[in-house]
Amino acid sequence: MIESFREAFGRALVELGGENPNIVVLDADVKSSTKTAYFERAFPERFIQVGISEQDMVSMAGGLAIGGKIPVVSAFAAFLMRAWEQIRNTIARDNLNVKLVPTHSGFSDHMDGSSHQCLEDIALMRVLPNMTVVVPADAPSVPVLLRQVVELEGPVYMRLGRDHAPRVYDSPKLELGKASVLRKGSDVLLVAAGVMVSVALETARKLEERGISAGVIDMHTIKPLDEETLLKLASKAELVVTLEEHSIHGGLGGAVAEVLSEKMPKRLIRIGTTEFGRSSRDYFALLERYGLTAESVVKKVEVMLT
Amino acid sequence: MSEALDPRIKLQSMLQPVNNFHLESSETCLEILSAVLEEKGEKDVVILSKGHSAPAFYVMLHEMGLLSDEELYSFADIDGLPSHVIRGLPFIEVSSGSLGQGLSVGNGIAMAKRIDGEDGYVYVILGDGELDEGQVWEAAMTASHHRLDRVIAIVDRNYFQLTGDTEEILSKEPLADKWRAFGWEVMEVPNRKEELKKALETAKKLEGRPKVIIARWEV
Repeated sequence: MIESFREAFGRALVELGGENPNIVVLDADVKSSTKTAYFERAFPERFIQVGISEQDMVSMAGGLAIGGKIPVVSAFAAFLMRAWEQIRNTIARDNLNVKLVPTHSGFSDHMDGSSHQCLEDIALMRVLPNMTVVVPADAPSVPVLLRQVVELEGPVYMRLGRDHAPRVYDSPKLELGKASVLRKGSDVLLVAAGVMVSVALETARKLEERGISAGVIDMHTIKPLDEETLLKLASKAELVVTLEEHSIHGGLGGAVAEVLSEKMPKRLIRIGTTEFGRSSRDYFALLERYGLTAESVVKKVEVMLT
Repeated sequence: MSEALDPRIKLQSMLQPVNNFHLESSETCLEILSAVLEEKGEKDVVILSKGHSAPAFYVMLHEMGLLSDEELYSFADIDGLPSHVIRGLPFIEVSSGSLGQGLSVGNGIAMAKRIDGEDGYVYVILGDGELDEGQVWEAAMTASHHRLDRVIAIVDRNYFQLTGDTEEILSKEPLADKWRAFGWEVMEVPNRKEELKKALETAKKLEGRPKVIIARWEV
């Protein structure tokens, strides 16, 4: 079942806004794309439009947090990154209670091309002290994790795609900071985040047909990383594979590589990108081009195991 | 150190061991900080967006009896007073040091106050060199669009920035016209405490738009 990350976000935000009067939402003139327009309709007095100025938006959110609000900032992930220095110097350094929830990450904004696609943000956020980094796997995960993100005191980056969100969970019971084990396996451990969790599950099924047993972890919280679950499952596997719609440098693959190389050296394949994207009328053509499909991952695993 | 010592002398002696760290831009901020801290009500917020004038701020805290001699002289020691102001110091709600962000933060605080129906003004102290940062003008647009009339910016118009004269590096003039064009009420006063306090009093009474006081340094 295919659902939409941004639809799930827009609706979850209205629900949370109804429960918690401290939530305010800031927009840089993309509310119809990020679906924060739903929140504006429901709570116009708590919706703040700043125009196309992400830097001003992020710092202003810092001020709102200082004033006791829980500001939720949304934009396209790529353009929120232009406020990285504001996120670093004001939000993260002062540990302010700001929730950064961008949409359109990875290749999900396929039509708009490399300027709009964002394959670097997990790395840029993960490096910041005080910052929690969350990447939901599907639409049902969004309200479950967003609720915990809002309840957590401190800055959070919750990375969402645009629309394509294949269903992973029926009713997810997810806990922030705790990896979700979707499947156990003895030969290979697939550690995935975001839309790549469904690709990991498909990969595991295909490997099974080839007589290779693969486990799958939904690593929805990339920082702090659930090292305990990772190491427990990795200890049984011959090979670990990370899968993300992001650069192989500094994101989930980087995080897993850091932990494994220090604590449990393992053979590792990082599935992700090393280049900028490109525009494509077909989202799946991009996943295929950049090797983010189950077929492509299966081939790499087979090469490594034989 | 004697309490009777002139703040400028305090500043100089405090900065002498650290190669006169931002001495001039702290000197021109002394009267501004003094006026703002005297005008500041309990519910008001002060943001030192030009965070490199931290030494002047510490001298003011010392004048108010909030810092000891020892603390003042710990400036930029590894466990001493930080070289740029950080959240958690008296009156400091937000860390600075990186230029151009304080006005946006001030707008956010003013907006939170408005949503909650709370009183209080937000004073944001900006450098004139800082105005090169585009974000200041993003925030200037935001403040006037949302009619954040509790926001009062004070520009330390000292005519110099790090590597030279402000008008040679990137011209600021006509500065008052720029702020006016962005929808702000503009006041221009000499950078002297009594004049600044008078301007702050006037600014507080004006409603409907944000206010900026350009504090011109007169040699």
